[in-house]
Amino acid sequence: MAAHEVLAATNAVVTLDVGLPGIVWPWLVTVNMWAKSIGTGVIFMLFLLLRMHPDSASKLRLHTAVVAFAFINIFLLFTLADLHQPFRMWHIFFHPHWTSAITIGSFMASAFLGLLTLLVFLAWKKNDETYDKVLLWVTILAIPVTLYTAALMAQCTARELWQMPTESAQMILAALLSGSAAMILVGGDKLSYEAKKTLGVVLGLSALMAFIIYMSEYIFGPMKAEEVAAVIEYIKGDGEWTVAFWLGQWITYILPMALVLLSRSSKSESILKLAAILALVGLAIVKHVWLVIPQLLPMS
Amino acid sequence: MQLGFLVDLHLCMGCKGCEIACKVENEVPLSTWRLRVKYVDVGTFPETKRTFTPLRCNHCENAPCERICPVSALHYIDNGIVNIDKERCIGCAGCVMACPYGAIYIDPQTNTADKCTYCAHRIASSMMPACVVACPVEANIFGDLDDATSNISKYIQQNQSNIQVRKPEKGTNPHHYYVNGGNVALNPLASFRPEGHDLFGKITSNMPIGGH
Repeated sequence: MAAHEVLAATNAVVTLDVGLPGIVWPWLVTVNMWAKSIGTGVIFMLFLLLRMHPDSASKLRLHTAVVAFAFINIFLLFTLADLHQPFRMWHIFFHPHWTSAITIGSFMASAFLGLLTLLVFLAWKKNDETYDKVLLWVTILAIPVTLYTAALMAQCTARELWQMPTESAQMILAALLSGSAAMILVGGDKLSYEAKKTLGVVLGLSALMAFIIYMSEYIFGPMKAEEVAAVIEYIKGDGEWTVAFWLGQWITYILPMALVLLSRSSKSESILKLAAILALVGLAIVKHVWLVIPQLLPMS
Repeated sequence: MQLGFLVDLHLCMGCKGCEIACKVENEVPLSTWRLRVKYVDVGTFPETKRTFTPLRCNHCENAPCERICPVSALHYIDNGIVNIDKERCIGCAGCVMACPYGAIYIDPQTNTADKCTYCAHRIASSMMPACVVACPVEANIFGDLDDATSNISKYIQQNQSNIQVRKPEKGTNPHHYYVNGGNVALNPLASFRPEGHDLFGKITSNMPIGGH
């Protein structure tokens, strides 16, 4: 007996609807968010380390600027690749629509890349005094650059799961998490153990806070809105994204938190590096799951 | 002037004449739709009924697609229509993600966003939208919402207790109304969508989405 024949009279079955668009923002957007988090996050971390551990952090000016420059370029490259008409990208700059987070983000990201290029040049010239002055403005600009994707997601009226200010908090935490993880790996022998301990604290705390927010949305989100409840079903029970969601939570947040604690008690830099690698890999999974699941919900 | 649409769901019989007329008029490519009719079956055999709901762009007063478009490809025109300039569109799909009604798609031929424009080109020539002309039972009613003597305004006045819009909680203020529509017809979460249960067989898609 077909499904529609055994349903109660109060139930209903869609027997024809052709308007399910599938995944519109695919993995290209995941890489976009992931790379942007690293590109802005390392800037935050260098700014912090130059104040807390100036001796060892001063050796990382060039490394940090190069890493940030590279990842912001990856972010912009994947943004471009995701466009269906990439050769019309210039329209954003010549026909800007200022209510759109995409427009504002494009201008800010371009300015950010320009300043990063300047930082690389200043570091290469070993002009530390000017570098530190520019770094202040780069750090300030890195905040809206990392937040603009949250604003874009909030503008997606159709995707109730992406709420402000939750997404803003998650974007900043993602930048702190990936920035600290990247700096632990980039720092190598140049960073003192104390500086790495500081990065470990940032890594552990940002993982904890991000995990709390995800769990709060997972548990309490469905109590507020039926669309959120329907979306969360994709990561609950036998949901098609349940495994990926929990894999992401474990790799990005739970294991790195435990490893950071273990590295402090055992004074092991290797364990801290493992935590950093897991956090960086897992962040891509977490971001991808959160990007895809609201797109699975039929809008009609 | 504020143009709007109203569909009387008691009159609609799901013939899909509007869907075909729209396809022909606007040269909508295969696997994409500016206007489509959703069928929902309710009840247990033999006490069953089928509802038909034509779905198109709602031309919202507070349109999320217009707001999110980075290049103003989606824009308002003087008669209240949310129109699209396909030459300006960069294909970021922000509008597809923002529209709560799933009314926007990426045209596989032009690689740009597209949607119902209420046949703005026909209206500019003082003609009715193609779907209105094609409807055999006059279930589609189109006109100026600011004109109290227009057919649509009169219809709304006569059916005030029975007028609905899709997803009013989104705050988009649609200019597309339904009369005699129930929760099942208008709320996508009020019905099941079993796999492999489409009438007319499996519908394939060649849309350039997801890792295009």
